[in-house]
Amino acid sequence: MAEHNAVDPAATPGTVPGPTDPELIGPTSAVSNESSDPETAEPDDDGPPTGPRRVLIALYAVFALAATARGVVQILTKFDDAPLAYLLSLFSGIVYIAATVGLVTNRRWSRPLAWAAVGTEMVGVITIGLASIFDSAAFPHDTVWSRFGAGYGYVPIILPVLGLMWLWQTRGHAVRQSER
Amino acid sequence: MHRCVVISNDRGMIQGLAYGILTAGLLFGGWLGIQAYRRRPTTEAQMVGAIILEVALLVQAVIALVALAGDRELDEPVTFIAYSLGILLPLPLGFYLARIERTRWGSLSLCFTAVVVAVMTLRLIQLWQAGRG
Repeated sequence: MAEHNAVDPAATPGTVPGPTDPELIGPTSAVSNESSDPETAEPDDDGPPTGPRRVLIALYAVFALAATARGVVQILTKFDDAPLAYLLSLFSGIVYIAATVGLVTNRRWSRPLAWAAVGTEMVGVITIGLASIFDSAAFPHDTVWSRFGAGYGYVPIILPVLGLMWLWQTRGHAVRQSER
Repeated sequence: MHRCVVISNDRGMIQGLAYGILTAGLLFGGWLGIQAYRRRPTTEAQMVGAIILEVALLVQAVIALVALAGDRELDEPVTFIAYSLGILLPLPLGFYLARIERTRWGSLSLCFTAVVVAVMTLRLIQLWQAGRG
């Protein structure tokens, strides 16, 4: 009788058998307790904190699409109107694509690429933003970066700041990763 | 005469759907923003909501492009087509990020893409209204 009770709960963990000796419940519940796998505590393959990076990926991917599509449409439909502005649209789109690739991938060149792209973006949005205000004739309000991105809710000026902050805050991790 | 009635009905339907999507995108974005603020991952209901919104966008794109192939003439048809198709892309990205990132950051990603859909819908409405037929 005692043997039967001892085997049964072990076969079906979690179910408490009917009237049983309290002595038997103790050890069986300990056996059926599913301890978490220690291996799951290991960090994922792509080291830096993923959460903010994924938000940045969403932001950069959307702007890569917006700026590239805008540049392509402008160049295809009315290139002669303002060649400089439209080439600039396409250029900003390529910069956003490069930044997205740098954030998505996790290779040796990923972080340098992200630094270069986000840095170019920062310089670009400030230069074009100032130029479009002081020399509005040369820059009709037709690029993503004109007037510091006012046409896009000023996200184009905020985005490189967030990108640079993230790259700066996670730089320590990149060093450890390259030392491996 | 009959034809005019059909077109105006068509137009009303398209704009009604677009304003509905605009409102839904903003409400959905707000819902996810609250979720991110509360440091929670997206719920099952929110993932289903993203799918419903995406289906509405697909319906809108088909209706709009069919109307454009018909009698509707726009000032910037290429831009309109680009927006109609481009608007389908943000939500799947946000959905994917919310699936793999089961934290507040996943909620924030989907929140952002929902707001983008609302903004793009507003632009679509503007492009649609700047046309005839």
